[in-house]
Amino acid sequence: MTHSLHRRGDSEDLKGDFVVLGCPATGINKPGSAPKTREFLSLCYKNGPVNLGDMKTGNIYNTTMDDILSHVTDGTIVQCTFDNREKIVSLLKDLKEKRPGISVIISGISDIVQQCMEEAGLGRIHTIEYSLGTWGRKELLPEFEILKTHTMCGHAMIGANLIRKMVRDVKRGRKTVEEACLEMAKCCTCGNYNPARGIKLLKELLPLYMVHSLY
Amino acid sequence: MGRIQTFKRHDKIPGRVFIEIDQERCTDCGVCLRANICPVKALYQPETPWPREVRSILSNPLIEFKGSQVPGRGTEEMKTNDVSGRFRPGEVGVGIELGRPGVGAYFRDVEIVAMELAPLGYEFAGENPITHFMSDKKTGKLRDDILAEKATSAIVEGKCKLENLPAILEAIRRASKKISSVFTVEVITKVSPEGEIPIKPVLERLGYWYSINTKNNMGLGEPAFKFYEDQ
Repeated sequence: MTHSLHRRGDSEDLKGDFVVLGCPATGINKPGSAPKTREFLSLCYKNGPVNLGDMKTGNIYNTTMDDILSHVTDGTIVQCTFDNREKIVSLLKDLKEKRPGISVIISGISDIVQQCMEEAGLGRIHTIEYSLGTWGRKELLPEFEILKTHTMCGHAMIGANLIRKMVRDVKRGRKTVEEACLEMAKCCTCGNYNPARGIKLLKELLPLYMVHSLY
Repeated sequence: MGRIQTFKRHDKIPGRVFIEIDQERCTDCGVCLRANICPVKALYQPETPWPREVRSILSNPLIEFKGSQVPGRGTEEMKTNDVSGRFRPGEVGVGIELGRPGVGAYFRDVEIVAMELAPLGYEFAGENPITHFMSDKKTGKLRDDILAEKATSAIVEGKCKLENLPAILEAIRRASKKISSVFTVEVITKVSPEGEIPIKPVLERLGYWYSINTKNNMGLGEPAFKFYEDQ
């Protein structure tokens, strides 16, 4: 499962985009992991994520933090999205001190993640996963500007046509940019969509598309 | 999956139009139901008997595949490597996620990729749904009854020795010319205590593009797996 890996964008765009996962391991530390996962979630929440959720329950835009916490069971994988490196450093310091004990994974620009680890007093990245991009019939893909938003939900729950519809709705005055991003955030069940980055990307998309009619 | 609904006129009620979801192109991801987009709540999920059932297993992130015990489409892979030791020094995890991003793929394309990799010492991840659907794990052949089914994304997951990585990547390149969709490729490696990333020189020597953004295991899981003798 690599739903936070293949986010598209340049370094300037991706430097404010981090997905943090807490994951217990099947057959190793899964039994009794629920309180550890709840502690991990609370530490993340304290550090101001822009999104947070678990795949089965939902995220903070379609349910509540209390609901997410109450549905954590042994084996629940949770994810929190952050929009700046200072929050990641602060979170890593908390994790180093409290050590919930489940595996923690951060998706982001690897050099920045490594710097954050060093600032928090943690050593090297333990295991790293690279994307080698998209291969095959790439002519089937949506435009790169659309892909930047689409790939924020690795499960593809924010479809390219939904993004185009959001552009049309904003242009026609039916939604604000913020409302459109909220609607997309609700679709990304596990909470990987970064609304702060999403607002920026949608604003960049608006001048690139024309609508046939404003009504 | 693109625009998969069709507008039709009702044949008995003049002026009435209705929408149908193209069931061939739909992957049963369920997002339209969860988003509650139909103003008259007319959308419903039809029964999905086997083999159609595999569509939702690989497309709906809320459904957990019992074999992996992980909701979503894949496994824990590198996420728990700090405690599981799944990818050890000298090994490379290689994943090929067909249909991603946002295009979808038929299982006949998944089979093409799996069969290209199988003879090259690529060890399929046992708990992965695609491995589970193989009728022959030595050749990568999938069950015939699912080949015409489609998923939002289907990950072929496994690992190989570092020295086999060039041959594996070349096989993936060959497969990319035979399929009717797209796939994303990912590679996983254990970082040495000195910070060395063994796959980087290989990728650079062979001229493969790799992303600046990565997925990084922090090594905070407990109990920590012992990767080295002197740990």
